[in-house]
Amino acid sequence: MFDSSSPSRPAVQPPAPRPLGQVNWLGLWTLYLKEVRRFLNVITQTVLAPMVTALLFLAIFTLALGRGDLVVHGLPYALFLAPGLIVMTMLQNSFANTSSSVLISKVQGNIVDVLMPPLSSFEFTLAYAAAGVTRGLLVGLVTGVAMMVFVPLPLHQPIAIFWFAFNASLMLALLGLIGGIWAEKFDHIAAVTNFVVVPLSFLSGTFYSVERLPENWLFIAHLNPFFYLIDGFRYGLIGVHDGDILRGAVIVGVVNAVLWALAYGLVSRGYKLKP
Amino acid sequence: MRYRRNAPESVGGALIYSLMFLAVFTLAWPSTIELQPGVSAIGFLVPGIAAFALFHGAFENAAFSLLYDKLEGMLGDLLMAPLTPLETVVAYVTAAATGALITGSIALGVLVLLVPVPLASLFPIVGFAVLGSLLFALLGFLTGMWADKWDRYAVIDTFIVMPLGLLSGTFFTPALLPETGQILMHTNPIFYLIDGFRSGFTGAAEASPLFGFLLSSTLVFGLGLLAWRLFARGWRIQS
Repeated sequence: MFDSSSPSRPAVQPPAPRPLGQVNWLGLWTLYLKEVRRFLNVITQTVLAPMVTALLFLAIFTLALGRGDLVVHGLPYALFLAPGLIVMTMLQNSFANTSSSVLISKVQGNIVDVLMPPLSSFEFTLAYAAAGVTRGLLVGLVTGVAMMVFVPLPLHQPIAIFWFAFNASLMLALLGLIGGIWAEKFDHIAAVTNFVVVPLSFLSGTFYSVERLPENWLFIAHLNPFFYLIDGFRYGLIGVHDGDILRGAVIVGVVNAVLWALAYGLVSRGYKLKP
Repeated sequence: MRYRRNAPESVGGALIYSLMFLAVFTLAWPSTIELQPGVSAIGFLVPGIAAFALFHGAFENAAFSLLYDKLEGMLGDLLMAPLTPLETVVAYVTAAATGALITGSIALGVLVLLVPVPLASLFPIVGFAVLGSLLFALLGFLTGMWADKWDRYAVIDTFIVMPLGLLSGTFFTPALLPETGQILMHTNPIFYLIDGFRSGFTGAAEASPLFGFLLSSTLVFGLGLLAWRLFARGWRIQS
């Protein structure tokens, strides 16, 4: 006969939903970490290669422009060019990080692994953007240090350096996120990279002072957010600037706020992410 | 065939880069600088830009083609077809070179429309373009055979091909380099390639185009032989 007072084994509790609170910190951190590890895994390609390319550009431009006689704003050309190249590298790599991640997940079909967990759209956007910023900043740092070997870069205004580097990485990380969500094939991202990101990063005063442009082009240059990023970052390093730094700082902040709203909106709607 | 499918992407990309380089150089320059005695800055630059687009394109086409086939497992289909190794190698390499030549011509055409480019003699232009694209296509083919992951290809591209393409006198003459740099340049076969190619435009050359032609032809022949023998052995393709 069964003795009902002592059960033969303890009763199993049914699984209870884990309380998450306002923000799913663990989930957010996990997604962020996954994204960061994704690019650290292939660090040669994602961080070192861009650094080498930037150094190559530095070499050819300084060599090509005649024994470094060229002077811009009273400073040797190499000193003017280096910050521009650092920003350009940051821009291209933050964009690549988020866009490739989202698009590859979509194409391979494992985007569902990221959409299913209990992550809010805010956490989703934040994790991807933060990883993109991390990549951008890391690439910028590595490239900057490498360049210091060849060009004595001063640190004129560290706050400016940080603000513009952060915003540059954030802007392109968000653009990459939006692009990755929108794209359906790798060609789309390649098109955006080649026809939007590259021209904008080349032509926004990276290699030359925009003061050299004729009147109409100068106006267009001032409409380009990349210009403010590059100008501000360069100011932070060498103290030389073509535009108004404070205005630039505000503009890039505003642009990023708008981009964030757009990215967040797309993620919450599940635009092209959820059928 | 594969080239035509990817054409907009590869042509577009190469074109944008070429245009960007041109724009940036023209804007960054004070107009008085002469890179080579007796040669205008544009005349010096445009061939260099076109050459870089050409060579990098050839490398990319060949490496990507082969590596993609290898990693996607489609190489088996290819190896089973009744093609001798020589025919296969020649096909891959010449296809890649042709694709690059088309891209390079388009890029050059656009550049010529935008800026005045001198033209001295057609033979060096065509000769070195063909040799150069074959050379880089062979390098690409060898890389495609050697690489077992995309990372390896990226490493070769970034650390070997791009420096070779950008630093071998594409954008500046060795005269601007210090003594040791100049000596190194003169041992670099790519330098002769670029110099010869450019001489077809500007009529001026740092080194002897004939020597460059012979050197490049020998290299193409040598690498071609290597590629053929390795492929026939199934080096890193068949286990």
